Amino acid sequence: MIGLYQPGTSLLHRTPAGVKVLVFAALTLAIALTAGGVWTLPAAGCLTAALYLLAGLGIRPLLRQLCAARWIVLVMLVTQVIFLPVLVALTNTGRVLIVIVLAALITLTTRIPALLDATERALAPFRRFGVNPAAIGLLLALTITAIPVIGGFATAIREAQRARGAPVRLQTFVVPLLVMSLKHSDELADALTARGIE
Amino acid sequence: MNGKLIIQFESVSVEFAGRIALRDVSIALDAQRIGVIGSNGSGKSTFARMLNGLVTPTSGAVKVHGLDPVRDGKRLRRHVGFIFSNPDAQIVMPTVTEDLAFSLRGRGLTRSQVAERVASTLESIDLVVHADAPTHSLSSGQKQLLALGAILIGEPDLVVADEPTALLDAANSRKIGNRLLDEIPQQLVLVTHDLRLAARCDIVLRFESGKLHEHGDPRSVVARYERDHA
Repeated sequence: MIGLYQPGTSLLHRTPAGVKVLVFAALTLAIALTAGGVWTLPAAGCLTAALYLLAGLGIRPLLRQLCAARWIVLVMLVTQVIFLPVLVALTNTGRVLIVIVLAALITLTTRIPALLDATERALAPFRRFGVNPAAIGLLLALTITAIPVIGGFATAIREAQRARGAPVRLQTFVVPLLVMSLKHSDELADALTARGIE
Repeated sequence: MNGKLIIQFESVSVEFAGRIALRDVSIALDAQRIGVIGSNGSGKSTFARMLNGLVTPTSGAVKVHGLDPVRDGKRLRRHVGFIFSNPDAQIVMPTVTEDLAFSLRGRGLTRSQVAERVASTLESIDLVVHADAPTHSLSSGQKQLLALGAILIGEPDLVVADEPTALLDAANSRKIGNRLLDEIPQQLVLVTHDLRLAARCDIVLRFESGKLHEHGDPRSVVARYERDHA
């Protein structure tokens, strides 16, 4: 889901992170406000595909992002179909799917430090209210880095349980995952301190 | 901070929840490569972690080049790089280049200065071809090299490595060990279970049950440690 930066020299790669985030916000708003229109979704879909091509990424990363979003799509669709007409449920889910894929395009074409700098700049006016922009930027970076690490813990736990012939149950999976994640966060805190981040 | 860092421990004890981790340690060190050995739980990691204020002494005084790692921690950490045994826990940013650049944040360097230092560090740790690779896709050895690079790019005066080869295979252990012992110009404190690495230091400290059991000539200290644990 969180696409990692793919080096390139396209217009999208060269556009400042802040501008990309603003355009993304405008597009998201436009998709939300014109949701009732028949052509909104097909047009937004075509625009998204065109942006992926413009970024020189091709269709494969786009398909990967769509595939990564399958569980969100499934949960959204199933829960909405129960209460809403099928067409409305499909439209709502389609909108969210396009927004997810557009958001991924930002991370695919922007280095994380550039995103962090843009976040810190955007949050700078809130410093007077006690907000620490650098800490929020770091928090975002750590979250992105921690996802594959915690994914690795989950794989290790599943493999260890299978190796011992134990059935994979929610409680025997979640508790060790939490313990390993907390231990990792402790170690990470020490490493940050050691690198001079207080 | 020029010249050799001098590490001074004066009657230092550390207690965690009623358990004594380090008992009355006094020593002054100015050797270039300092090896630290001992059994699990002997206090060697506690000793190392005190060098940049990760652990606070319960009693006694620690000085690293005249600075108190607890009181002057922030200042001292710019001069003391710390490498942990688990490289996953030290990598902060999603890609190799970004993680190296992260170490230079807040140092007032221009973008081109940062790019220059990142490029030369990538070369020195043999990770040029992985510059834009996601950090989680690296092997354990490459991750530990990255962790070392992230420390060295800050140009510290002292490198403290706490069992840096514990999670590595033989080839990567050798690579990291050689890099630390033979190639970096910094003063080094190397906590290790690898007695061959310890024997290559200039002085070895041996901890047992929280006490500094002995220190001195590496080959003699390592030989006695091997004999006692045979």
